[in-house]
This record gives sequence, structure tokens and C-alpha cells, in this order.
Amino acid sequence: VSEQPRVVQLAHDIARNLAHLPDQEAAAAIAYHLRSFWDPRMREQLKTIVEVDPSIVEPVVREAVALLP
Amino acid sequence: VMAPRTGKHEWQIVAEISAAMGSPMPYETSSQIMDEIAATTPTFTGVSFDLLDRVGSVQWPCNAEHPLGTETMHEHEFARGRGHFVETPYVATTERSTRKFPLILTTGRILSQYNVGAQTRRTANVAWHAEDLLEIHPHDAEDRGIRDGDFVVLASRVGQTKIRAKLADRMPVGVVYTTFHHPVSGANVVTTENSDWATNCPEYKVTAVQVSLTTSVSEDERLSPAEVLGEPVAAG
Repeated sequence: VSEQPRVVQLAHDIARNLAHLPDQEAAAAIAYHLRSFWDPRMREQLKTIVEVDPSIVEPVVREAVALLP
Repeated sequence: VMAPRTGKHEWQIVAEISAAMGSPMPYETSSQIMDEIAATTPTFTGVSFDLLDRVGSVQWPCNAEHPLGTETMHEHEFARGRGHFVETPYVATTERSTRKFPLILTTGRILSQYNVGAQTRRTANVAWHAEDLLEIHPHDAEDRGIRDGDFVVLASRVGQTKIRAKLADRMPVGVVYTTFHHPVSGANVVTTENSDWATNCPEYKVTAVQVSLTTSVSEDERLSPAEVLGEPVAAG
């Protein structure tokens, strides 16, 4: 069982399900999902992790987070 | 129209609750409510009780463009134009069976009870489904020394509960099944926190589990409904 923070697991799960898209489209689609359906506190938590510990977050998810307002 | 058995129509009850909460709904007839729906909903602007009395029924959209309703809703194209297809490739769950948890648990419902049973367990339906049972294939049961009706421990990576086993040929080898209509069964103690990425629908159909015979179970050892709900339980 992974020890990653829950929001990272969830974001990676989204990325896995959108992996058939080209990278840029995938990042945009992930960002759209995070913006539309995630609790703002979860988005903030993920943003903080990307800032503090980017190595545990997959590149496409980092790109998605960069697209968030 | 049949007279309401409670003495009031449902819309009257809703209107009275609304008024009691400080937002009056001064309707005198249900026809006025239909008129308000028509005034506020573009696809219903042509609907009124008068029209319904004249033509019997209409299918929406019913408006200036379709004064008698729309027999077939999408004849040539959708409101957005052509249909929009989205790829949804199969992505396997991260939940895996292992030597420690070699069986897959699937949970589900039966006809006579609804979800956690808060409504249906109050009815005579309990005669049809008095408790949740763990259905297990006779081969899986025999491997574990389990006979029909034995209490077993049902354990996953996240938790465990005790439940009575039912040998069932309808189960495939390797898959066990139970319902979750009785809180004392604690099915949700066993299922994982995995969920569908898009809808957050919990992954109740795939949980790796082990089932083992427990010989010393009394009813007292099962979770009480209060414990299941996380309520404080009086000591002693």
C-alpha cells in the first residue's frame, strides 16, 4: 500500500485514467477536473505538495497544478 | 383525482413547511404551480393544466417552437449538435489479491432491502433477508474448513468483521459476496477507500479479502449498531 498523501494518490489516479491523451491535453483535462470537482482545500493541499515535495508528484499532474488559478 | 389520504396534497404540505420557514408560497391550486414552472423553464413554457386537459399529455420540450410538445426529442441532432464521444480506456484497480488476501469480495444489494436498510428493515421484508450472509463457493469454503452457517472472519487490508457464511454454487471460485443491509455486518469496515476517479463512486465490487473460520463467535462479539455508527457505548 502506497504511503503517498491521499490527494497525490487521487491526482495520480486521475492521470492514469487520462493517460490516453497527449500530455498537454491530459494536463488540461486533469486541471479541469481538479477545478470543477475538488474541494478547494484539496487543491491547496496538492499545490503545497507540488511546491514542497515535487518529486513525489508525476510530471503531468505538476503541469496540471500549474494550470490552476 | 383521488382525495389525499393525509388530508392534504403534497404541494400543500411543502407550501406550509416553506411558509413556516419564512418563505410564503401562496398557491391556491396545483395549476398555479404548473404555471410557475412554465414561466421559469424554457422547455416547459407551453405546458399548462388547460393544455393537458385538452390533449391528455405532452412530451417536453413544449414551447412556442413545439406548441404540442415533442414526440421524439433528438431527431436530427442534440442540443449541442453532434453527439460527443469520450474515450474511457479500461484502467485496472490498484487493489490486488495476494497470498494473504486471496479472495475478491464483491458487495451488493438484494431486492427486499434497500441500501443500509434504515427504511426497509422496519418492514416485514426482514422475513426475506434477516441478516447479511457471506456467500462463498463450496471449494473455497472446504479449503478453509467452513460449513454452511458457520461464523467467519472476513478480513481485508483495511479492516475485518464477523459474518455468517453461506455456501453458494452461484459464486465463482475465488469470489465472495455479501450484502450491506444490516449495519452489524460492518461490510464498509472491510471495503477500501478506493473510488472512481471521475465520479468518486466507491469501489465496492473489488476488495481483496481472506475468509477464515472462527469457532468462538457469539452474537455479543459482533459490533453493536451503536459501535458501527461510532456512537459512544456505555461501559459495562
